[in-house]
Amino acid sequence: MNELLKTVDLSVGYDGTAVAGPFSFPIFKGEVLTLIGPNGAGKTTLLKTLAKQLAPVAGTVLLEEADLAVTKPIELAKRLAVVFSDALRPEQMTCREAVAVGRYPYTGRFGRLSDEDERIVDEAMEQVRVTELQDRPFTAISDGQRQRVVLARALCQQPEIILLDEPTTFLDIRWKAEFLEALKRLSEEQGKTVLMTLHEPELARLVSDRVACIRDGKLDRLGTPDEVFEGRYIAHLFGLEETLYDKWFGES
Amino acid sequence: MKTRNVIAFAGMAVLLLVLLVLNLCIGSTSVPVGEVWHALFGSSADATASNVVLQLRLPRALAAVVLGGALALSGYLLQTFFHNPIAGPFILGVSSGAKLTVALAMVIAMSRALPMSSAAMVAAAFVGAMLSMGLVLLLSTVVHRMSVLIIGGVMIGYLCSALTEFIITFAADEEIVRLHTWSVGSFSGIRMSDVLVMTVVVALSFVGVLMLSKPMSAFRMGETYASSVGVNVKVFRVLLVLLSSVLAATVTAFAGPVSFVGVAVPHLVRSLLDSSEPRRVIPGCFLGGASFCLLCDLLARTMFAPTELSISTVTAVFGAPVVLWILVKNQKGRERA
Repeated sequence: MNELLKTVDLSVGYDGTAVAGPFSFPIFKGEVLTLIGPNGAGKTTLLKTLAKQLAPVAGTVLLEEADLAVTKPIELAKRLAVVFSDALRPEQMTCREAVAVGRYPYTGRFGRLSDEDERIVDEAMEQVRVTELQDRPFTAISDGQRQRVVLARALCQQPEIILLDEPTTFLDIRWKAEFLEALKRLSEEQGKTVLMTLHEPELARLVSDRVACIRDGKLDRLGTPDEVFEGRYIAHLFGLEETLYDKWFGES
Repeated sequence: MKTRNVIAFAGMAVLLLVLLVLNLCIGSTSVPVGEVWHALFGSSADATASNVVLQLRLPRALAAVVLGGALALSGYLLQTFFHNPIAGPFILGVSSGAKLTVALAMVIAMSRALPMSSAAMVAAAFVGAMLSMGLVLLLSTVVHRMSVLIIGGVMIGYLCSALTEFIITFAADEEIVRLHTWSVGSFSGIRMSDVLVMTVVVALSFVGVLMLSKPMSAFRMGETYASSVGVNVKVFRVLLVLLSSVLAATVTAFAGPVSFVGVAVPHLVRSLLDSSEPRRVIPGCFLGGASFCLLCDLLARTMFAPTELSISTVTAVFGAPVVLWILVKNQKGRERA
């Protein structure tokens, strides 16, 4: 498999102080890779560094052969999109406008949308089933709907890879399933690479091609769900007593 | 959607035109519309009326148009910068900073009997605007709550106003009258040459703001998303600060500090257009700000004629309730969330 993104001795953190790392692992083209681990393990910090929202404390991130640090913002935006939980709630902005923000790297000086851009916006909204929301204000929709609108916006960037930070956190069980199903389809049908953090190991197991387990700022285990979930590893990862694990998450 | 925009923009343009004509007609001597037309196009028989229109009312009305538009734009840029609908050049102390440096420059120039060109006034105002803006930004690195930051801006404004009063109090007698009228805000005494300078500065800034409409549109969803679609957020924020300061400084250099226009007009325009899309809001703000200031200036000079009110007195009467409305609306929004 081809490597799309690769971390090389990457330490991540804030203001020059590392909170996690060093990491050295590849992210393959077209896979769904999920980062799991206890709160505060450094998953989100790692994800933000991979999205170039944070500068690495040490080491590098390679997008194919190119160093992420020297990739032009517009060029990066055409290849990598994010779905993070900190979207503002802008007044008087329709869902369609919010989705169309994803066309930013492709439009001209004044951001006017061509017919082609409009068609891509339509398609993106259909793909995640938010077409009927297009004229609604972005402030007036539910969390589940907002999350899908933000995903449609990411699709408009026509990226090779989408990074998502705990995309299912505020969703109820139906929207969780629909959202993850949509991501799975993107990977299987369109060959998009999906890299995300998830709170729920059970969901990670179902949706992922590979799972990366972060514990105390280190990559503790990386492999297929079957490899990672072998035995009571999850109990160990989250520091959960084995009897409790068996009661709530055990196989039998 | 589309028809709403056409109607809104046509409505604002007509309103601007009507107010412009009214500003030329109404005053201590009222000039009929026909006479105004003749005066403007050089076929007037009545020299006095022609003089009143061309020398006094026209420059004043044009200044209200240009500076009113500039103020509304400056406020809109600051609201974009801080992601807050009640940010504005007057509230954040930017106007008062400009007022302080202009007063200083005027007093120094007068004491040395140097002429003060309008370009020099704009430059002095820009320095002051940037100083206040710098203080506000410095404060914003420590204070993250927007309400506290705005109170900080209000304090910076008070401080600058106090220093300005201090300078005015100790200025020589004959300078006081002129300085005092200007320091409370007024469109009076503006000459056609001033109008030319302010039009050049504001027109250039307006083009600059239009060039920013694309990143402004993406910035609505917040910094993370803006930078993720390719906006260079650092450069963009610097440009926002520079342009809003130039605009606010130009207004202050010629008309002194004018309150509330920068907050009230962008809000009214967004509500009217039912959109926050910068490509529409930017020209909307300019038209709205121009009409708002034309109306306020007309009231300021006619309501208690021959006594003139300061322009801020009138803009506050219309603008402050809008700000209260924004506060109440935001509070309700927060309670619902």
